[in-house]
Amino acid sequence: MEMLRVENIVKEYSGHRALDDISITTKKGEIFGLLGPNGAGKTSLIRIINQITGPDEGKVYLEGRELKRSDIESIGYLPEERGLYKKMTVGDQVMYFARLKGLSKSEAKKKIEEWFEKFDISSWRDKKVEELSKGMAQKIQFIITVLHEPKLLILDEPFSGFDPINADIIKKEILQLKKKGTSIMLSTHNMNSVEEVCDSIALINHAKLLVEGSLKEVKEQFRTHTYAIQFKGMMFGFANALFSNFSLEHSEQIDEERAVAHVKLLKGNTLNDLLKTVLPVVEVEGVNEILPTMNDIFIQSVTGKSAVETSQDKKGGENE
Amino acid sequence: MSKIGLVIGREYSSRVKKKSFVVLTILVPVLFGLLGFAAIWFGMKEQKHFKVLVSDPDDITKAKIFIGQNENPPATFYFTGEELGPEDYEREDLKEYDIFIGIGKNTVTNKIIRGVYREEPSLNTERYITNKLETRLEEYWALDKGMSLEKYREIKQSFRFVLTDIEDQGEADTRAERQAVGFGFSVLIFVFLMVYAGQVMRGVLEEKTSRVVEIIVSSVKPFQLMMGKIIAIGLVGLTQFLIWIILLTIIMIGVQSFFLADIDPAAIQAMGEAQIPGELAGSMPGNDNAAAQLIFEQINWPLLLTLFLIYFIGGYLLYAGLFAIVGAAADSETDTQQLIIPVMIPLMFVYFVSFSILGNPDGPAAIWGSQIPFSSPIIMLQRVAAGTVSVWEVVISLILLAGTFVVTTYLAGKVYRTGILMYGKKASWKEIFKWLRH
Repeated sequence: MEMLRVENIVKEYSGHRALDDISITTKKGEIFGLLGPNGAGKTSLIRIINQITGPDEGKVYLEGRELKRSDIESIGYLPEERGLYKKMTVGDQVMYFARLKGLSKSEAKKKIEEWFEKFDISSWRDKKVEELSKGMAQKIQFIITVLHEPKLLILDEPFSGFDPINADIIKKEILQLKKKGTSIMLSTHNMNSVEEVCDSIALINHAKLLVEGSLKEVKEQFRTHTYAIQFKGMMFGFANALFSNFSLEHSEQIDEERAVAHVKLLKGNTLNDLLKTVLPVVEVEGVNEILPTMNDIFIQSVTGKSAVETSQDKKGGENE
Repeated sequence: MSKIGLVIGREYSSRVKKKSFVVLTILVPVLFGLLGFAAIWFGMKEQKHFKVLVSDPDDITKAKIFIGQNENPPATFYFTGEELGPEDYEREDLKEYDIFIGIGKNTVTNKIIRGVYREEPSLNTERYITNKLETRLEEYWALDKGMSLEKYREIKQSFRFVLTDIEDQGEADTRAERQAVGFGFSVLIFVFLMVYAGQVMRGVLEEKTSRVVEIIVSSVKPFQLMMGKIIAIGLVGLTQFLIWIILLTIIMIGVQSFFLADIDPAAIQAMGEAQIPGELAGSMPGNDNAAAQLIFEQINWPLLLTLFLIYFIGGYLLYAGLFAIVGAAADSETDTQQLIIPVMIPLMFVYFVSFSILGNPDGPAAIWGSQIPFSSPIIMLQRVAAGTVSVWEVVISLILLAGTFVVTTYLAGKVYRTGILMYGKKASWKEIFKWLRH
């Protein structure tokens, strides 16, 4: 079931194209990662979905029908640039935002009660925001985002600015909300968290959509058919046996008689072919495929080079 | 409650609950009351009673000075036939006198009266003494020339000059004085515009710099947020104004009944006169009755106050939009100082024009100023108070004002929604105009 669909979105700011014909679909109940380097257009897209700005071209659909103004009440938004009214008390503040999202006073009161107890922060209610630490303020911000139980949660860089402990709390909350059926879209630079929480991703660079799909599909797409083989025997013999059908990408001696080699399959060869080739010369102890990490995929998509090449470039640059 | 209602509620209550608002709202009228009270109090204290010894060997004054029934004289006259010189002033029997004045036959012809004092009298006391003696000497002179006292007093009565509009005869013209009252309103509107439009600018900037704005605009339209803020701050202004009026009225009544009950009204009147410098006195209403008449009869207070409110609201809506643009375009308080210049220049210009048209409420500057929407809220009230403006002129200026603030608010909304989400740098006016075209 589709949750959100953006179709052919174009957005320009005084001559600069921020989004160029972007189309994305997210499913109900999944966590969708919107990835891209700074300035790629993620925030522009998020603002369009939140109806903060309008697109120049294209349309946005929520649960199959065109997005309308009242839909903002079913969306929760945690912007990257976040803040609260410093002079307002925590309780008043959360109430204000809850009511802006369409909750009645009594509903809001009940929900505030629940969340404050959950985060064990009931004692903060009468404190002014300026008296809170940054981490405390961020918790409040998170509560404000989810209090009205939105169907769609949009989190722009949700982990930035949180300390590891709070980031973990937020991560757990996000997963719990997912379990309850909330659809979540999050933009982040933190590729580890993408691997951990996202079901699908879209990668945007220079206003254009580069990659889209479920995490599995994307990894499949970026698969290099490289395997790590651990074996007992001589590395020399192993390397010779590979000949021109395989390429030895990397090798490492574990101890005197054991080594690990990263081998890429060439010319349509299969893992079976590889094993047939090396079994006569070494004793294979283990094999597993090296799948690209999201970090690799990100770097490769954005720079057009593999993560290894990029790090080599960097080293070269440093040596100069 | 609608969303704009929620925004108004938050903006209004957060401002009204502020200590600075409470303090200012209560302090200003109390301060005014205290100052007024202090002025009267010190005025009374200052009135040391002087004993004036008139040395009149030729008995010109016949040891008589006319003192009216309701007067509260700051000095008492005593007379002696003895001719006094510098050596006499320290004499034991004359030590009680504060001022010595010598009068002789030649005083009347050479028109010089000389006197000495131990302690300098106040301007008010000095004027009282000279007035009384002058009148007495003039009476002597008149009698000397064979004129009866009645005749003399009749001649002495000053003329009250009444200049009337050719189309509006029958009513005494106090146009200039009435315009001065309107001028007071002009200044008040100017100050209110600056204060409250300035608050809009700071409020916008505060939301922008604290980054709270993006969360809000994901729930309400930027235009709703801006309008909510503008309306709420306008209401704060009206609240403050209302409280001031109520408090001032209470304080004035209080001061009058508690402190001034046993004070001779004439003393206050004398003080009032004393505060008006001689040259200006001529341009002021002929006497206190005229002032009272001006205040109580010739100024149409209900009309003026109603128009004050209408023009304040109109002018505020116009300038608040412009100030909101500045707040949205700036990235810090210091940025606003530069960006505000194009908005402040017309406002300051209008303020100075409002001085220049004093006494000329029908000149081209006043007529244009009262129609151009950027200046009409400040200029029009002067003309209304002066009574030189027709109904249709007010109607046209209000229509123009309303039309303009609709346009400026619309434009401000466009700039605002782009500006509030531009973090990290100040926008130039060039960029602001670009945003307008979006």
